[in-house]
Amino acid sequence: MRRYFFGKMCLKKIPIIIFLLVSYFIIPNHVYAAPETVITEGHSHNEIKRGERFFKGLLPFKRDYNACVSCHNLTPTDTLNWNPSAMDIAMKYADQDFGSFQSAVMEPSGIKMQASHVNFTLKEEDLKAVKSYLDNLSETGLSPAKPTYNNLILFLFLGLLLTWALVELIFLHHIKWKVVPIVIFMGAFGWQVRMIVTDAIKLGRQESYAPDQPIKFSHKVHAGENGIDCMYCHTTAEQSKSAGIPATNLCMNCHVLIREGSNSGKFEISKVVEANEKGQSIEWTRIHNLPDHVYFSHAIHVGSGKLDCTQCHGQVQEMDIMQQHSDLSMGWCVNCHRETKVDFGNNGYYEHFVELHGQIKSGAIDSVTAADVGANDCMRCHY
Amino acid sequence: MTKYWRSLDELNAPVAFRKNEVRLEVDANRATMKKAASSSRRDFLKTLGFSVASAAVVASCKRPVDKAIPYLVKPEEVTPGVANYYASSYFEGNEYCSVLVKVRDGRPIKIEGNDLSSISQRGTSARVQASILDLYDDARFKTPLKRGEPTTWDEIDSYISQKLSQLNNENKKVVLLSSTIISPSAKKVIGDFQQRFPNVEWVQYDAVSATGILKASELSFGKAFVPDYRFEKAKVIVSFGADFLGTWLSNVEYTKAYSSGRRVMKKSDEMNRHYQFESGMSLTGSNADVRVPIKPSEEKTILTALYYQLLQAGGEFTVAAPASPVDLKGLVEDLLENKGRSLVVSGSNDVEIQLIVNAVNHLLGNYGTTIRTEKTLNTHQGIDADFERVIAGLKDKSIAGILCWGVNPVYNHPKGSDLKQLIAGAELSVSFSDRKDETTAACHWVCPEAHYLEAWNDAEPKSGTFSLAQPTISKLFDSRQVQESLLKWAGVEAPNYYEYLRKNWTENMSGLQRKYTDGRIFWNEVLQKGVFEPGIEFKTLAYSENGLAGALSLKQDAASGWEVVLYQSMALKDGFAGNNPWLQELPDPIAKISWDNFAAVPVKWAEENGVQNESVITVNGVELPVFIQPGQAPGTISVALGYGREVAGKVGDGVGKNMYPFTSIENGAQKFWVSGAQVSVTDKTYELALSQTHHSMEGRPIVRETNFDEWQLDPAAGNELKAEHDEHSVSLYPGPEFKGHHWGMAVDLSSCIGCGNCAIACQAENNIQVIGKEQVRNRRIMHWIRVDRYFSNDAENPEVYHQPVMCQHCDNAPCENVCPVSATPHSDEGLNQMAYNRCVGTKYCVNNCPYKVRRFNWFKYVGNDEFDYASNSDLGRMVLNPDVTVRSRGVVEKCSFCVQRIQEKKTEARVAGRKIEDGEIQPACVQSCPGNALVFGDLNDPNSKISNYFKNERNYHLLEELHTLPSVGYLTKVRNKKA
Repeated sequence: MRRYFFGKMCLKKIPIIIFLLVSYFIIPNHVYAAPETVITEGHSHNEIKRGERFFKGLLPFKRDYNACVSCHNLTPTDTLNWNPSAMDIAMKYADQDFGSFQSAVMEPSGIKMQASHVNFTLKEEDLKAVKSYLDNLSETGLSPAKPTYNNLILFLFLGLLLTWALVELIFLHHIKWKVVPIVIFMGAFGWQVRMIVTDAIKLGRQESYAPDQPIKFSHKVHAGENGIDCMYCHTTAEQSKSAGIPATNLCMNCHVLIREGSNSGKFEISKVVEANEKGQSIEWTRIHNLPDHVYFSHAIHVGSGKLDCTQCHGQVQEMDIMQQHSDLSMGWCVNCHRETKVDFGNNGYYEHFVELHGQIKSGAIDSVTAADVGANDCMRCHY
Repeated sequence: MTKYWRSLDELNAPVAFRKNEVRLEVDANRATMKKAASSSRRDFLKTLGFSVASAAVVASCKRPVDKAIPYLVKPEEVTPGVANYYASSYFEGNEYCSVLVKVRDGRPIKIEGNDLSSISQRGTSARVQASILDLYDDARFKTPLKRGEPTTWDEIDSYISQKLSQLNNENKKVVLLSSTIISPSAKKVIGDFQQRFPNVEWVQYDAVSATGILKASELSFGKAFVPDYRFEKAKVIVSFGADFLGTWLSNVEYTKAYSSGRRVMKKSDEMNRHYQFESGMSLTGSNADVRVPIKPSEEKTILTALYYQLLQAGGEFTVAAPASPVDLKGLVEDLLENKGRSLVVSGSNDVEIQLIVNAVNHLLGNYGTTIRTEKTLNTHQGIDADFERVIAGLKDKSIAGILCWGVNPVYNHPKGSDLKQLIAGAELSVSFSDRKDETTAACHWVCPEAHYLEAWNDAEPKSGTFSLAQPTISKLFDSRQVQESLLKWAGVEAPNYYEYLRKNWTENMSGLQRKYTDGRIFWNEVLQKGVFEPGIEFKTLAYSENGLAGALSLKQDAASGWEVVLYQSMALKDGFAGNNPWLQELPDPIAKISWDNFAAVPVKWAEENGVQNESVITVNGVELPVFIQPGQAPGTISVALGYGREVAGKVGDGVGKNMYPFTSIENGAQKFWVSGAQVSVTDKTYELALSQTHHSMEGRPIVRETNFDEWQLDPAAGNELKAEHDEHSVSLYPGPEFKGHHWGMAVDLSSCIGCGNCAIACQAENNIQVIGKEQVRNRRIMHWIRVDRYFSNDAENPEVYHQPVMCQHCDNAPCENVCPVSATPHSDEGLNQMAYNRCVGTKYCVNNCPYKVRRFNWFKYVGNDEFDYASNSDLGRMVLNPDVTVRSRGVVEKCSFCVQRIQEKKTEARVAGRKIEDGEIQPACVQSCPGNALVFGDLNDPNSKISNYFKNERNYHLLEELHTLPSVGYLTKVRNKKA
């Protein structure tokens, strides 16, 4: 008898156990962990906290200018903001003394800064607090953006739902109409399948992927407003599989003179100059990623096919933030190959295709597509 | 019809053999099943958990963020994604080869042959191909060492230069022991070093030296040298135990020359005749027209008899010739008919034998035609007696210091273990080795030199023929070229061998030519081409009969008992690259055994004594596994050198048995055979990785052959089946159509010598993984191109056929239509494509391929501790070709005709808007084939070389009767047996 009760108690507790387990995994671990700070050069926690409040404009005092955070944002995702982010500033001044920080804030140089850093009446102690806050920030980094688990929660919920429906249908029989659990089961299962399928198709695809870059480089400014040819920087697009990311010294061709941008002021360009002087490469985040088993050559498409860059990369000259235009899926490649006509008459290479030339002459066909000359063979891209 | 067979079991009992084949296959499969799929309840739960987790992951997974890091300052000559080729020179293990090094984004990834070299003529050997992997060897030293502990160059320099001065002041001798040095600049450095330290003696020591030839030519011509053999000019080639196609002297050069004399495409072509007298079946012997199995002790008698018979035939001599154990009548006739167009060589290290060889060649008027004395081959300069003096000096302490450069005598000298003590006991012992070896382990100081792909050097492999070596990557580890170490110790403040070398070339070498007056332009020109062949005239040397009389007087040895012949294996040669997994896994060209050396025993003896393959016998107390070798001379056993390394690294340690202790020093020369050996049969067995019976073709006429005289009458001789099959070729389906290209390959079986260079070239190009002994035994070797070896006729002395088989790219491919997921369709250009990412691993295609060329990835071979070879470390994986996918577990792979190379050239042509030239595209196997046996091209071009090969009457296809329409053609094997 006791045993039976014990068993029953356990059974009743199962949903609670499941709930506890699920919530344990779902709630990010760092919620439990105490915030870590590195106290540098005698800064106290209080000072850092004060600096943070000041930076965020949370301290109650009268002022006729905005808080720091209104221009220098803390969240790393919003790069449309041309001003250097808090992290950027923190990294730049981490190794410098207070004096240089103070003069940078209080004695603005460059058009952009002069326009925004006006009427600053900051107390030195406030500024020191901000500096210590930023120093601390450069050590600890920003707390990572909270990951969203909505999809996972929904998926697990649907899983529970369909399990319940199944159990109800077979064992419990609480609901009179059998059709209800059947519908619930079918619905939940169908929705799960749909989630898996859509996600599986998206797996590895990054359409509209626009990650943060270490420098707020704007293609709109360079290729659009200034009309620089794509191939000026991406020099190897015509000869190599890779279009090439410009070496830092190529940037310096222009930026040896141009040290201030109309959008970002001096801050972003100074990163390039610094990288060049320090001899450190700029670590860009790669946007267009093909899987390892795909071989793609720019040379064929640009050098021989004379495709316009925008056909695959979109209106780059209008992008402040570079993003992936096409989904780079196999279907997208294959369809384009089927539709794109090759320069059959003029490229000497196609003289190999004697029969097709004959058909064109006789009028049997009027043009030759890339697929006609084998562009859709497996081993064009997979080997 | 000739009966072809692949092993004795098949010859004697074909039915049982085939049954056994099936059984072995089943066993292997079962073993894997047991290993991989013993599922239990727990496994079920694990799988269940995995599926739930993966579903969850699908609902929220992200791609990793990749970085794109550009150059800071892009070098002008580098285009990311496009390979550069740098000319360089390979010289290791006494083998020279002029090479091109393919460098992709700063990493050397492939060795190609350099067609500008008159020596290697675009050919390479398997060892040259595999040398790229040695660059990325985990056994390389990362820092200089002092008694096994890492140290700094400063410490080394201050100690050693002080120690050298001290020994110099005390007038104690120091020996610089090197392998043969062919670099003029390095010799100059040694000269500088000796000038600073007059107590230093420079001794050259070769693991397998040419002492016999050097000493003999010293007597016959007054100068110790290896002459320049011109095999292409010889109509009759006689070799006594010289494996000149495999391992002897300048084998790549000789292979080029030899096969050029055997290429019969049109009526007027002539063909040389090749006689081989040898004990074990060597690669060279397997290609011979007439092969005579002899005991090594009989070699001298036969040569003496040959000499006397030639004299008699010339009427110059009337004394009866000594009795020869074999009939020489036909040979003598041939030689006399081809005076001045014949060539007699011997691989023996016995001075007397070489003296008789010289006399025979002189008698036949070969000097000045097929043998040039004015040019010398410099790759073998070590004289064994010199090293014996060094040992004596170390023993009596008259030599206080030893500097070891590129030598490993502790391993490859018969008294290796004594030497270990002697070297360790010397006051100063330094090794320059760049990786672990037995001698280095005994030395106090290790000053690792740079790998040849990281170093500057020059070479004079043949007098008047120069080449340069240049670094293709900056040094991976804290190493320093030996030349710089020596200069540093000799007192040069900041030695720079590059400057030294360039100075030597711009100042001294540029004087040898007139084209460029500016030394710097000359230097750039040579550096680009890799070779410099100014065509200097040298004086020919006059022959004298010095020492011949003594050599001819036969002292009848009481030769009794077994004679054990020690030969250099094709893959490992003298054993210097023991830690190279590609070479370890390359099957022996005759036995088709990898990962071991073995005792090759005669057929008859094995039958009589009930010995089988994989039985263990003891030879002078050493236990060796048996391979019954058809063609092995009765009373002899052959065992390969180069195995049994003890300190080589994770791959080479303890593979096989070291046979160097069997050698002996006789008359100042190392002798590579033993007489009176004690052999006893044990009841033990030892598993060998035999791939010889893999991929059975069920006895169908795979190799077609004819003899030269028959071919002259009818070029289609031996290929009658082709006409028959063509006649019956009917299909219900429309024929395949290729609008642009139709790629094809032809294999000339007469030119192919079976060396295995193609297999390693392919391995390097296509990221083919090493799978280890156990998996080779399970018949899973991954090579995309394998060289099949067939025997025919008499088991005591069979004829041998080598046949490279790669994917045949059938236009009517049986593999294609059984694939349930369309992972292997046909391309518009006739390629049988393989899309790895589509393959689900049903292996239907593997089973349906009549040529058995498809390979299945039974395991993940990359980054797997179970397969701890090159691909299990970041360093080893640097060799991977970035243009070829690294296959994962569960997919099928096979030869792609090097589609990445086809694509590369097509892109180039397209961008330039021109047609592809014939011969522009060369798959890896074709590019460096030393026999020029492989031809690749476009069958749609009627004037291409490949089309001409396909039109040749000798051309046939494998299993034509199946109507698979292969894109690979084979040209019948033509031998030149005496009618």
